[in-house]
Amino acid sequence: MRTKEEDLIRYKDGSLYCEPADVWIDPNRPVKTALITHAHFDHFAFGCNEYFSTKETAILLRERVRDNINIKTFDYGEEFKINGIRISFHPSGHILGSSQIRFIFAEEKWLITGDFKLQKDETCKEYEVVKTDYLISECTFGLPIFKWDETNKIAVNIAKWITNSPDKTSLLFCYSLGKAQRLLNEISKTNFKGNIYSHSSIEKINNCYKKLGISIINTTKIENKNKIDELKGSLILLPPSLSKGSYLKNFKNIQTAFASGWMSIRALRKRSGYDKGFPISDHADWDGILEVVKKSEAKNVFFHHGDSEALSQFLVEKESINVLR
Amino acid sequence: MSLKKFSELFVDLDSSNSTNNKIEVLKNYFLSNDPIDNSWAIYLLTGKSNKRFISGRYLKNLFSQIYEYPEWLIDTCYLKVGDSAEVITLLLKNKNTSRKKKLSNISLNELLSKTIPALSKLSDKEKNFKIKNMWETLPEDNHLIFNKILTGTFRVGVSIGLITKSISKLINIDEEIISHRLMGNFEPSIDSYEFLIDKNINLQELNSKPFPFLLANTIEDKIFKNSINDFQFEWKYDGIRMQLIKRLGNVSLWTRGQELVNESFPELVEKISHIKDDFVLDGELLVWNFKEQIAFDFSLLQKRINRKSPSRSIQIKYPIIFIAYDLLEINGKDIREIKLENRRIELEKYFSKWQNKTDNNISDIFKICDLIFPKDWPDALTYKEKSRENNTEGLIIKKKTSTYSSGRKKGIWWKYKVDPMQLDAVLIYAKGGSGRRAGLYTDYSFALWKDQELIKFASAYSGLTNIEIKELDKWIRKNTIEKFGPVRSLKPEMVFEISFEKIQISKRHKSGIAVRFPRITKWRKDKKIKDADSLENAYELMKKI
Repeated sequence: MRTKEEDLIRYKDGSLYCEPADVWIDPNRPVKTALITHAHFDHFAFGCNEYFSTKETAILLRERVRDNINIKTFDYGEEFKINGIRISFHPSGHILGSSQIRFIFAEEKWLITGDFKLQKDETCKEYEVVKTDYLISECTFGLPIFKWDETNKIAVNIAKWITNSPDKTSLLFCYSLGKAQRLLNEISKTNFKGNIYSHSSIEKINNCYKKLGISIINTTKIENKNKIDELKGSLILLPPSLSKGSYLKNFKNIQTAFASGWMSIRALRKRSGYDKGFPISDHADWDGILEVVKKSEAKNVFFHHGDSEALSQFLVEKESINVLR
Repeated sequence: MSLKKFSELFVDLDSSNSTNNKIEVLKNYFLSNDPIDNSWAIYLLTGKSNKRFISGRYLKNLFSQIYEYPEWLIDTCYLKVGDSAEVITLLLKNKNTSRKKKLSNISLNELLSKTIPALSKLSDKEKNFKIKNMWETLPEDNHLIFNKILTGTFRVGVSIGLITKSISKLINIDEEIISHRLMGNFEPSIDSYEFLIDKNINLQELNSKPFPFLLANTIEDKIFKNSINDFQFEWKYDGIRMQLIKRLGNVSLWTRGQELVNESFPELVEKISHIKDDFVLDGELLVWNFKEQIAFDFSLLQKRINRKSPSRSIQIKYPIIFIAYDLLEINGKDIREIKLENRRIELEKYFSKWQNKTDNNISDIFKICDLIFPKDWPDALTYKEKSRENNTEGLIIKKKTSTYSSGRKKGIWWKYKVDPMQLDAVLIYAKGGSGRRAGLYTDYSFALWKDQELIKFASAYSGLTNIEIKELDKWIRKNTIEKFGPVRSLKPEMVFEISFEKIQISKRHKSGIAVRFPRITKWRKDKKIKDADSLENAYELMKKI
């Protein structure tokens, strides 16, 4: 994405920066003021003087960071001003607390989508359509080969996967924050009634979600003392970082799966080394991105985080939208 | 009993890494589907069909036309996915095609014996209409299989051995029998499936089929502890492994890939048909230098392989020979259970009988392999080192007391190959891979020095570990000089050890040389590009042999 010096928001040193307000959005290194769209670590840098975020994001960050960080919190839609620039957070549907950030300065509106999805997810607020002049959107899955199935269909497939192998322990790898809770919520609605275990990093976030009023079914923290027999036929949620290395030796007779949007491509699924892949994502698919571009009524669009070339060319050719590349 | 069931089978097989699991899944599939669909399933799974009804390009164009999709967008998607059939499947998902019409549940038999073959008789317009209609009426989960069959790219991680095992378990009959029944042509039909699962073993029925081939293992150190006298030594020829069968007067020539190739080698079939006995011989087909009594290079054999009914002049220009190394059946009697040393005696006895017939001179097209008699293991090593001189790849070492069983059973036959030739070369181009390697740069071209210039001499894509592939892919993206479509030219910086089996003059290549089976054997991070080999080093290698 290429931005100009005089733009309200532009790329500087690899992060989005609003110069008139002197604030950074999800900076990749310590700065004075950081606006944080959501609590995933790839959107967070340690050591900033102050952070601005939604209440939920702040609570999740404090839980994960365990550091005394200085966070100012805001409700969705609540406007605050810095150097005359009006700024507000709006739901982005990615995970609990995730937000888009809107900037208004001299009648000109800018919207940064942050990571977002349009699919229904009971563990976080639904994506809010926000009108804007300039749109800066993520495009992690910016190709038409990405088309998400209904979440409940995936959940049913996961349930089938587990119950079809009653003698095995089913290890489902997924991101600890957001994906795990969404999966638990969906799986609890299927007819899978076996035991569910979570890794401590997931259990921690589950509790956090519960405190914030999201209902998540109870799972048992997986510990090394869990007996192998007891784990037969049950589901264990683990973070992807544990999929390689010695951790798996704690279990016997396992089958593994990874829940991620990338799993919709067979080559990636095969290369990932998991037995099975469930294509479920907290990012928007191709249609989702197009819908947001359209509904935002933006006249100018920027893309970052992903394959933006094809998406940009498509919008320019087919929809006559000014995509800045 | 349908494409739907087969699609489910594919998903199950594709998402399992466990052999036992796959066997179980297959067994259950065969149990719950009718014989005709089962025979088609076996046909597809064993890769006996890979006929391409339409090309991947055609499929992409058709999609682009019907749904008004820019072709460049489909091509961009292809780079990520690496398979035309899958790209179209994923894009179709975005079109929600199948939700509009009543879904059809077509049987595998109808699809494969009627619907798809009928396409080739249609005009493009009718064909396109038909395919579009299939896309719109087939359930979404069936699109992948349909597109893959259309483009002849159906493949799944199931070996013939696995199919053999699951059928063997299904009916409780020895794997060897099933394996034999599966040899040769397999025409999908109720009969062919019933024959496969017949519990009565009737050897007569197997008459038209070659025996499962016995394969050699790579040599292991432990064998050198055995007495040299326990083994029979032969040269390892670089030709096409075949079974030459004469039963009830009919000659058939089968490759190890289970293809009947009588039409490519009519002069051999003709000569053999005059021999009085019936037999099954295991051996190798080569293009032979009769003057020096050694094999010509494999590249000459390639001129014969794919040519049916070769002219007289081709037959003279590329004279073939069948070198028999084993006798498996003689006048209707299966002798595979007899010890190798005794089979060899039989082979020699019969060959001299056939050779001494004055009315049919077979020696210009048929011989039995010479044996080598090293006096100890170091002597065997010396023979191996000399194998390049007579255009062989090394030695085959066979246990004298062994019987002829199928597959790669350990400890019976060993291959002792001559060490590969090696050169250190510089990586100069990379190209995106396909299939499992889609989205990564995995096809590499390497160069050698000629004066101050790097000249491309070989392309290779195997030999690196997955971790190395990822690391190199990252490096490639950062060190690209120029992009030409899917190919990138790279900053000359990385040196790799390239191994290959053969080197020869080639006018088609700028480097003037061509190598056989080039592969990467080491990433020489310790070497700078100035340390890489020159073309002159390559010519030196050629002189040595």
